[in-house]
Amino acid sequence: MAERIGVFVCECGPNIKEAIDLDTVVTFAQGLKNVVMVKSFNLLCSEAGKKLIEENITKNNLTRVVIAACSPREHEHTFKKVLSNAGLNPYLLQLVNIREQCAWVIKNKTLATEKAKAMIQAAVERVIHHEPLESKDLECQMDALVVGAGIAGISAALTLAQKNRKVYLVEKSPVIGGKVALYEKVFPTLECASCVLDPVLDKVLHNEQIELLTLSEIQEVLGFFGNFIVKVKKNARCVDTKTCIGCGACFEVCPAKVKNEYNEGLDERRAIYIPYAGALPNVAVIDREHCLHFQTEGCNACQNTCPFSSINYEENDEVQELRVGAIVLATGFDVFDPKRAPRYGYGKIDNVYTSLEFERLLNSNGPTGGKILLKNGQPPKKIALIHCVGSRTREYNEYCSGICCMYSLKFAHMVNEQLPDSSISEFYSDFCLPGKESQGFFNNLLDKNGIEFVRVKDLDSIKFSEKKGKILIQYKTINPPSSTLLKGGKRGLQDKNIPETLKSDPFDMVVLSVAIEAAKDAQDLARIFDIPQGKDGFFTEEHTELSPASTIKEGIFIAGCAQGPKDVQSTVTQGQAAAGNILSRLIHGEKLVLEAITATVDEDLCSGCKICIGLCPYKAITYNSPESPHTPLWKRGAEGDFEGDKGGFSDKKENLATINEVLCRGCGICAAACPSGAIKAKHFTDKQIFAEIEGLLNTNYAKTSKMSLRGTG
Amino acid sequence: MTKQSHHSEIASPSVRNDKEGCFRKGNKAIMSSFEPKIIGFLCNWCSYEGADSCGRARKEYPSNFVVIRVMCSGRIDPQFILEAFKDGADGVMILGCHPGDCHYKEGNFNALRRYTLLKKMLKQFGIEEDRVKLDWVSASEGDKFVRVVSEMVEKVRVMGPLMLIQKKQLKNHREHRGNL
Repeated sequence: MAERIGVFVCECGPNIKEAIDLDTVVTFAQGLKNVVMVKSFNLLCSEAGKKLIEENITKNNLTRVVIAACSPREHEHTFKKVLSNAGLNPYLLQLVNIREQCAWVIKNKTLATEKAKAMIQAAVERVIHHEPLESKDLECQMDALVVGAGIAGISAALTLAQKNRKVYLVEKSPVIGGKVALYEKVFPTLECASCVLDPVLDKVLHNEQIELLTLSEIQEVLGFFGNFIVKVKKNARCVDTKTCIGCGACFEVCPAKVKNEYNEGLDERRAIYIPYAGALPNVAVIDREHCLHFQTEGCNACQNTCPFSSINYEENDEVQELRVGAIVLATGFDVFDPKRAPRYGYGKIDNVYTSLEFERLLNSNGPTGGKILLKNGQPPKKIALIHCVGSRTREYNEYCSGICCMYSLKFAHMVNEQLPDSSISEFYSDFCLPGKESQGFFNNLLDKNGIEFVRVKDLDSIKFSEKKGKILIQYKTINPPSSTLLKGGKRGLQDKNIPETLKSDPFDMVVLSVAIEAAKDAQDLARIFDIPQGKDGFFTEEHTELSPASTIKEGIFIAGCAQGPKDVQSTVTQGQAAAGNILSRLIHGEKLVLEAITATVDEDLCSGCKICIGLCPYKAITYNSPESPHTPLWKRGAEGDFEGDKGGFSDKKENLATINEVLCRGCGICAAACPSGAIKAKHFTDKQIFAEIEGLLNTNYAKTSKMSLRGTG
Repeated sequence: MTKQSHHSEIASPSVRNDKEGCFRKGNKAIMSSFEPKIIGFLCNWCSYEGADSCGRARKEYPSNFVVIRVMCSGRIDPQFILEAFKDGADGVMILGCHPGDCHYKEGNFNALRRYTLLKKMLKQFGIEEDRVKLDWVSASEGDKFVRVVSEMVEKVRVMGPLMLIQKKQLKNHREHRGNL
């Protein structure tokens, strides 16, 4: 049966009518093959216009519709709805953009009319090849997995749990709270970090929707948005979390001593331990690598001492399989190791600390109980804070870590408070103080005594050496008068304009503001979750501006410093954003509606060359058997919703590419690359585009502009 | 280049003479009334929107340029371009998002690679490689859109109509994809 095409031409008030001779266009369209009716109307997107289209579809039994009006980006949705209302599949529509790309850009009415004719002919020829498309939907898991129980992961987990979502919160360490739990105070409020954090951690521990898996690592992730299968390895704690009350009786008797990684190795812990006072959950853990029971056998000291019989050496590692609909990766960061830059003498000269070590020195649950002390037990008189260690240098990390200026200023505030008589020197090259609080935080320091800001010409030229038990810092200063800083005088000082002086000063203690780097295990995680990393190792967001919390892999979201360096405030925001994304996409009682414009593989044509697999930006194409977990549930036959009638799959199918319609976004990159022509990009098929090309070129318009050459050539 | 906003202005021989100095030898009679036909494949997210924004700002460009919308420049199969030449186009443009801005992350890089290879192949078909041109136009670059389109139209106009020596060869290219 021949298609019955209706062409509707919109006058768009005067917009199209005055630029194009619509009578000619209408007459021309009437002469086109398969066109059974042509109508022009003042404003098709108006209620009257929509009604006109709807009525004519029914009256004329139209099977295809061409609407010559504005850009599809403006009103395609409107007209699709009209088709649906008239009982026609919305994808049987082709919109012709005779306003933005014809009427408004061509002044000569004859030429505009000719172009409009060509465009309408192309649409008429294309629309014949349109196929009705249906948006499939899919049953989904409502539960979510959050990896990393730092402030980012916790924010995401709590937001999800608020909406009664079951959340698996997986944390590789024995405690939750991440890096923030190691700090004494947070900027810019100088609020006590545990006052901020502890109530939140408490909520996590007591929330019935959140299942916390500490000492756990992700081993494998299969599946796709809505239906992930995740294997989690839960390492044995060897202490019963239900009965241990964290009394600490066991640590006292433990004979094995180990450097405490939670205090950055500044002091020691036992093989059975709680990382720091106040750590949550407040339950001991056995470090089996160092525990004498496991290493030499025989030591049962802790088991004998525990008043609650909580110690269980027999506990084994377990592998658990979780089924979740979406995942948030909030796996945090590590800091730059200053040993990589020998000029700082870190690890060789005493009393040179990284900022994370200094956080522990300042912390009341740290190795010194919060007292700033030198190795010899004396308080320092002169402290230097060095900015940009490992940041903003092509040698290590080109990016600015964004938070070092602020935490360095926080240190200055805190040192000044604890040791008001000591002097503090901040060595910086530029200050990064964005946001509504930061400049004030800096300005407050200017009123205090004993704090100087030393602008260094080239931070990479700083050299440390040891001299008489002190740290000698050599540097080139371009110190502008402090009034410039205060009054915000001339900005963007040119180095050459300021005389540089070579100086050297001795200090008792130096704190290096080390860069935030991608977590050491980021690469492993990227491989497991199959998401990309940027050149610096941080996980890449889907879109820098518009989708900063999602990844190109649908259903996997990122939050916090795993995505890039950021402060607590932005980390919490991103954690909540990731959760919000999940809550708005996976809704109880609603199926996941899939993109209708996707690509499909013609099984008879696919040769299994795998070219498409590497090209897909969304990893939607796999070379798997139909039973693989990568294949949508409905294709696996288990659910049998869509292809159940096919019964057994043919042998050939095992060696073919399969496109996962949940992950496919319909870009069509694979279709263009397929050497067998086996991949069809729905709604942008080869056939449709070839028809469009032919339609555009084979009108009278094309013929006249071609002159007589065509005929003879 | 001065902005050649009006179609007939571009078509006038004097403009072309100023730019190129002379016409191609032997083609003068044909050239003087020759209007090239250019097909542009535009990605939905950046370049198509760029063309739209150009319309919204009422910036003129030659009517010789007609647009086919695709979701991504990475969708553009080189066979579309060959098909366009076969069907009578004198030039083909591929416009996509700027590198790094692709809505689908890296589709425009795929387009770039295919374009580079296609140009080599075109030579073997006897088609001047300058008849196909790839450029990046973002949604906000209405001005750039006008510029690259006008330049292309002008360039192809100077090159003259495409005379396919071995039309049949190209025709074959379509056959095995015909049933898609």
